[in-house]
Amino acid sequence: MTELLLQALYSGLLQGGAYALIALGLALVFGTMKIINLAHGELVLMAAYVAYAAESALGWHPLAAIVLALPATGLTAAGMHWTVSRIRADREINSLLLTFGFAVVLTNGFLMLWSADVHSTSSAWLQDALVLGPLYSMHSEALSFAISLALLAGLWWWLARSWHGRALRAVAANRDCAMLMGIAPGRTELLSFVLAGALAAFAGVALYCHGVIQPALGGALTVKAFIITVLAGLGSIPGVLAAAILLGICEALTVTLASSALQELTGMVLFLVVLFVLPNGLFGTARRRG
Amino acid sequence: MLDLDRLRVCFGGLAALEGVTLSVHEGEILGLIGPNGAGKTTLFNAISGLVRADDGKVRLHGKDITRMPMHQRARSGIGRTFQAPQPLHGLSVRENLVVAQRFGAGELDGARLEAILRMTGLAARAEADAASGLALAELKALEVAKALATNPRLLLLDEVLAGLETAGRQRFITMLQGLHRQFGVAIIIIEHDIAAIRTLCPRIAVLDSGRLIAQGPPDLVLREPAVIACYTGTGGAIHG
Amino acid sequence: MALRNHSGVIASLAALAALLLAWGGNPYIMSITIAALMTGGVALAWALLGNLGGMVSFGHAAFVGAGAYVSALCTLRLGVPVPVGIVLGALGAALSAIVMLPALRLRGPYFALAILAYAHIFRIAATEWTSVTRGAAGLSAIPALPVLPGLDAKASACLLAGLLVLGFALAYRAIRASHAGLALRAMHDSEDATRVLGVNSTLLKGLMLLVSSAMAGAIGAFNAHYIGFLEPDYAFGAMWVTLPIVAAIFGGYRTLAGPVIGALVVSLADQLLFKEWLPIGHQFLLGVLLVAMILAHPSGLLPLAGNVLRRLRPGGNGKGGGHA
Repeated sequence: MTELLLQALYSGLLQGGAYALIALGLALVFGTMKIINLAHGELVLMAAYVAYAAESALGWHPLAAIVLALPATGLTAAGMHWTVSRIRADREINSLLLTFGFAVVLTNGFLMLWSADVHSTSSAWLQDALVLGPLYSMHSEALSFAISLALLAGLWWWLARSWHGRALRAVAANRDCAMLMGIAPGRTELLSFVLAGALAAFAGVALYCHGVIQPALGGALTVKAFIITVLAGLGSIPGVLAAAILLGICEALTVTLASSALQELTGMVLFLVVLFVLPNGLFGTARRRG
Repeated sequence: MLDLDRLRVCFGGLAALEGVTLSVHEGEILGLIGPNGAGKTTLFNAISGLVRADDGKVRLHGKDITRMPMHQRARSGIGRTFQAPQPLHGLSVRENLVVAQRFGAGELDGARLEAILRMTGLAARAEADAASGLALAELKALEVAKALATNPRLLLLDEVLAGLETAGRQRFITMLQGLHRQFGVAIIIIEHDIAAIRTLCPRIAVLDSGRLIAQGPPDLVLREPAVIACYTGTGGAIHG
Repeated sequence: MALRNHSGVIASLAALAALLLAWGGNPYIMSITIAALMTGGVALAWALLGNLGGMVSFGHAAFVGAGAYVSALCTLRLGVPVPVGIVLGALGAALSAIVMLPALRLRGPYFALAILAYAHIFRIAATEWTSVTRGAAGLSAIPALPVLPGLDAKASACLLAGLLVLGFALAYRAIRASHAGLALRAMHDSEDATRVLGVNSTLLKGLMLLVSSAMAGAIGAFNAHYIGFLEPDYAFGAMWVTLPIVAAIFGGYRTLAGPVIGALVVSLADQLLFKEWLPIGHQFLLGVLLVAMILAHPSGLLPLAGNVLRRLRPGGNGKGGGHA
């Protein structure tokens, strides 16, 4: 039994790392522009499909497909930013509706291009087992975990040290003040979107390497990314990692102890529990209401 | 009528109100003064229920309302204006008062509604859009009108004169006196205009850094050294 | 004044009667009209929650599915007559919304996602709780709707659907015109200002959620009896989310007639055009339409058309018709 649990914890940890990468892009855009990109999961899926196309049509190794995925998601993200910045009124609601529309467009685009069949990589090395003592994982899982950590650390450093990174944080904290200090919020917001797209590219390629993909997955990814963003709290990259790992472990435990059909449910329940246990909401001003 | 018993409100580590004990009697007008940041608006927030007290009690007619939610306090007779006017969006002036009466007072009273419109000088603007169609003086009058429409026993006025020029200020003061006579409601008024305070209030209370440092008739209170010190540093006097 | 109040009702009834007289015998037209009315009903429910409750929901499929299953199960297993079943479906959906009441204090995106989470949970519950719902196999032979005398089954269903949606519109209008409606409209921008006047904003928003969910549940129930078959992916499917939203936005979600007219147009476009052009990914075009609308004119294309027409009319008066 303990071996089973240990394996669940380990798998959950690795999966959590991958989730963190998926969630980070969403959290970045939410932090800077205060909007949820409901099409974020589809961006990740886009990169995954690019990897699939590269492998099946061009015979590339899926990891190499990152070269194609980055411009694809980067440009799409830039396009999304452009449309979102066009919204004049009721920004919160309209950005939700707009990105929801994008999600529908992309999901059905994938459906038309690649059908509803599931796909996964055929690369043998990626699927081979990596054994650490009693713990099993696929090479791809461990690799994507390592890549996630590296990118998370890199982003953390960049936000803290580089000029653009700090500009991003400034705009996230107080847009008007940032403008007064000479930071162009529009360009910074574009940067956050493109960065989110880049992260999605890595996340998508990794996803293709260790999982199965199908058009409907986009929505599920967005929901998971949002759940993690909510759990993590605003402005905290270590928080995103911690929340993602928490989700990964909870899912793994649910699958091990209950049933795999309930895996998707875990995140939802976790989300609702956290949301209602913290009555002031996570990002609202902590005002005690009478 | 209203009793505050050692009220304490904290935001994080900062005590915005500390040990505030104050009573307001039926029908009296109490002035609340103090330097900026003293906690006057926070006191109003605590009384009206926008903010929950961390310690201490709020009693209305002897009943403990410390845990009562905001909308229920409004129905129990506490009316309040906001420093920055908050008209109800998308509704006309009249509809603002209808909502206030219907939910705050519990029933519609057409005659009283018209009386309020008349006395606050809004009768001519009754159909105007509250959020976009009014000048500042009218918005401030609407704040008072809305609060009055809920049939309050206690009215909290938060810097209603701020931003009005001299003549407008005079008219407003006269209006407040008229409303007080007509409806017999108790009023706590936050103001920086000392002359207005002297005119309106037979009793004032002074708040500084969250504590009540003096209360009594304006002439006496404004001569107390502690009160003078919190406004002007040391020495001097408060003119008004 | 009284005539103006009733003119919309009279016009709708007249249109419905005309439709049935002209095409009552044509099963295809009846089918697509019923589908459009189903979408219209959910679109109205969605718009009500958005306008009066101030909440954008991406999970109304939860209520539609809940209503469908409750009604189907009550009629199948407990032998309840279909009209009662539909009422129970509506109540069941409202009950399921009760667990969502705490979500009302969440801001925009959080609420939208919370509702979406519920929709997923319901779908998975329906799939896994096989002892009751027969899971993915679905429920079949669901009792059909009662047939009105003098009409065939499809035409009767069309008339009933039309009356149901009309009923929703009237209820919506009544709420909007009431004092509660005034308070709800004010709550969007100034919730504290209303609460300080004695409005129990949480209660009112909660009631709107219950009304909206009951409406969606009634549609789900009606639809289940009309189709006769139910399974989780259909009952809680994305089409119950996407199509009503696109319809409401298209027709103008701030007006009363907007969501219904929008549903008629968008549903017909989807059935007759989109599915012809892109049988597999026809929702793609719906998504494109939504994106285009939000960018061009978020308050809806019909209101936009109305504005344009008003400006074209020489010496046009300010007040146009159609706003409820």
